[in-house]
Amino acid sequence: MAEPRPLAVSPAPHVVGLVSSLRLTWTVAGCLLPAAAWGVFLFRVPALEVLGVAAGSALLAELLTSIFTRRVTLGDGSAFVTGLLIGLLMPPGAPLYVPAAASAFAILVVKQTFGGLGRNWMNPTAAGVVFALISWTGGMSQWLPVPGSAEGSAAVAPLEALRAAYAAGARPAGPLAVLSTQGYAWSGLDGRVLGWVNDHLLSWTGMVLPRGTFDLLIGNTAGRIGELSVPLLLLGAAWLLGRSVIRWQVPVAFLSVFCAASIVFGGLPLGRGWFAGGLYFQLFSGSIVLGAFFLATDTVTSPLTDPGRLIYGASLGVLLFFLRYFGALGDGVPLAIVLGNCLVPLIDRLTVLRGRARHREAA
Amino acid sequence: MKSRSLARRGILNGNPVAMVLVGLCPAAAVTTRVIDALWMSVGVFSVLLLTRVCLSLLSLLRDGESAGPSADLRGGEGAPRIRWLGALLIASCLTASFELVLLAFAPEESASLGIYAPLIAVNCIVLDRVEPAAGGKHIPTALLDACGLGLGFAFALLLIAAVREVLGAGTITLFPAGTFGGTIEIPGLSSAPARALGYAGGGLICLGYLAGLSRLLRRRPVPAAEEAGTA
Amino acid sequence: MSWLGIILTFSLVDNVVLSRMLGICPCVGAPRGMKSALGVGAATALLMSVSALAGWMIQSLVLDPLGVGFLRTPAFVLSVACLAWILEALARRTAPDLLRAAGFPVAGIALNCAALGAALLVVKGGFGALGSLVAGLSAGAGFFIVTVLLSAIRDRLEVEKVPEPLRGLPLHLISAGLLAFAFVAFDRAFLARMLHGW
Repeated sequence: MAEPRPLAVSPAPHVVGLVSSLRLTWTVAGCLLPAAAWGVFLFRVPALEVLGVAAGSALLAELLTSIFTRRVTLGDGSAFVTGLLIGLLMPPGAPLYVPAAASAFAILVVKQTFGGLGRNWMNPTAAGVVFALISWTGGMSQWLPVPGSAEGSAAVAPLEALRAAYAAGARPAGPLAVLSTQGYAWSGLDGRVLGWVNDHLLSWTGMVLPRGTFDLLIGNTAGRIGELSVPLLLLGAAWLLGRSVIRWQVPVAFLSVFCAASIVFGGLPLGRGWFAGGLYFQLFSGSIVLGAFFLATDTVTSPLTDPGRLIYGASLGVLLFFLRYFGALGDGVPLAIVLGNCLVPLIDRLTVLRGRARHREAA
Repeated sequence: MKSRSLARRGILNGNPVAMVLVGLCPAAAVTTRVIDALWMSVGVFSVLLLTRVCLSLLSLLRDGESAGPSADLRGGEGAPRIRWLGALLIASCLTASFELVLLAFAPEESASLGIYAPLIAVNCIVLDRVEPAAGGKHIPTALLDACGLGLGFAFALLLIAAVREVLGAGTITLFPAGTFGGTIEIPGLSSAPARALGYAGGGLICLGYLAGLSRLLRRRPVPAAEEAGTA
Repeated sequence: MSWLGIILTFSLVDNVVLSRMLGICPCVGAPRGMKSALGVGAATALLMSVSALAGWMIQSLVLDPLGVGFLRTPAFVLSVACLAWILEALARRTAPDLLRAAGFPVAGIALNCAALGAALLVVKGGFGALGSLVAGLSAGAGFFIVTVLLSAIRDRLEVEKVPEPLRGLPLHLISAGLLAFAFVAFDRAFLARMLHGW
């Protein structure tokens, strides 16, 4: 995933980078494991099946292209990471052909068609997930209930439940309040923890944490396999940042712009006025943390310069704001990233040193 | 110039959809169903053929002799604007006739093709050679050239439509005949097809792969006689 | 449809290139380089807007009153060709270097489906004079955006080592396809909520 992009001007970094990129991609895979493990812990065998099929399909697709290029590239780990990420962005109940097709599309069309590792301009994972979202919208909404939920309750991811509630006309104070009035089934653990916190820690402030706060925090809700546990994802992301595998510009710009837009404009679509938008719910539901730290930071498909990365992150934030608050397909994150990828070559063109650009045009 | 090599060139090498930029526009847009692609191919084929015949006839009437260098429209300089406007007029009138025929005999198809039927008039392969076509003004040669081009176009269009409809909708839509409703459902695929292929993106990607495939096939060594015969 | 609705529909939701697949020829076939992309994009966008307005005029002032709707195709095609002719003459007079930068003769633009398609789409929408102009401009803007994005992508593909059979046109088409998938984000539901909220 973190691979220095070959430049027309200097081939040297490519050669040096190739050796260290092996370790990098497997490091990324390792940092995804805690979040993946949580998803498997919650949803058991179906989640394992989805992850297995996604990763397996990606590896198979990579093997297939190896036959054509006569060069086996499985060892560089990038196909595995792509497959794993696609699996993590799938709902646990998805029919198995969905992650299989998404991975195959990602590797064959988005990555290998353009020449393989380092040469694609669109993030294969995000593109594969978008392909699945467009093709099998129903299949991408097959949620599974978490262990311990009431028998017979249909499992719906919080964001999707919220959208359905808004479409039905519900308008009370905040997202969690909306879900509570709709009778969204938070877990008993959530009730007990919040009850204790509200009574013993917060009673003197008069503040009451709404039902669902704890569930969202630890990721004990229905949702995609890898997006649930924000703390575990942040753990992995912190490791990657600390090791300089990923750079901070894109995720920080992404999240800060999204948060700012969310707070300032978030209430407008619902007619609640300015500065009435929520933040906690948006950050802890859906795959925004997963996307910001593991998808948007893909070196191949993000800009070359630091200012470029900041612009890219900011544009992702703006796009995600519009797609979350107005859009329909999924939770908006893969779509925002794919749209952002379309802007990256343009951003590069505007931010890369003038000399390099002039060199390219003369060529 | 061998007539047979011309026709063959039209089908494979001169395949407009894949090889040159001509004719791309309406192609992918109507390939969501096989029957739409079929009707579009019929339209393009007939307009192409008749336009070429008309232009050859006009050239014969005007100059009375044959042979002149064929100038590609892209060059622009060789074709006087009036002649070019005349070709556009002929092509668009023929297209309008095709639209009326479609409206009369297959109104649902007319609605299906929508704005893409009128676009046949500006399909580049129809107007590719306004100047005396390859083969001069000799009508049978012009016809053969047009046939090759048209068949190549139809083949490419139907190929894309087959892929897009089978994988993207799980059906094959053909003419309704008797009790046959017109739609063949493919078991397994029709319950959960990859709908993304039915979108414009799917069409463009299919078009891209077709272009690549055609380029791959074109690299096969061509017999010397054909090489000499190709303009 | 409100003004915002028209603008969003014609530029993003039903983007002329990525949703209707018109105008691929100049978009993907223009000579390399951002300058020529800007030139081709702007020229075609301008042509599209003017064609849309002309189309509305022809439809409502000539074809409908006389009841000769079946003459729409020849009328539109010829008007687009004449407009392109005029546009090229104007460009030659005022900005000849832009014309040179655009690389290929503007006459080629007349053949492309974008202008004719814009006229047909706008007339199908049934707007008034101003609405048709706005719709045409939005369609042109959408076309321009796509041309610029694709040009940057093509520049990047130029320096990568891509598989030989796919170099050039095939990859440009596939890239356009991926761009089209990205733009599916802007669908009718998105439009409805942008215009009317929840």
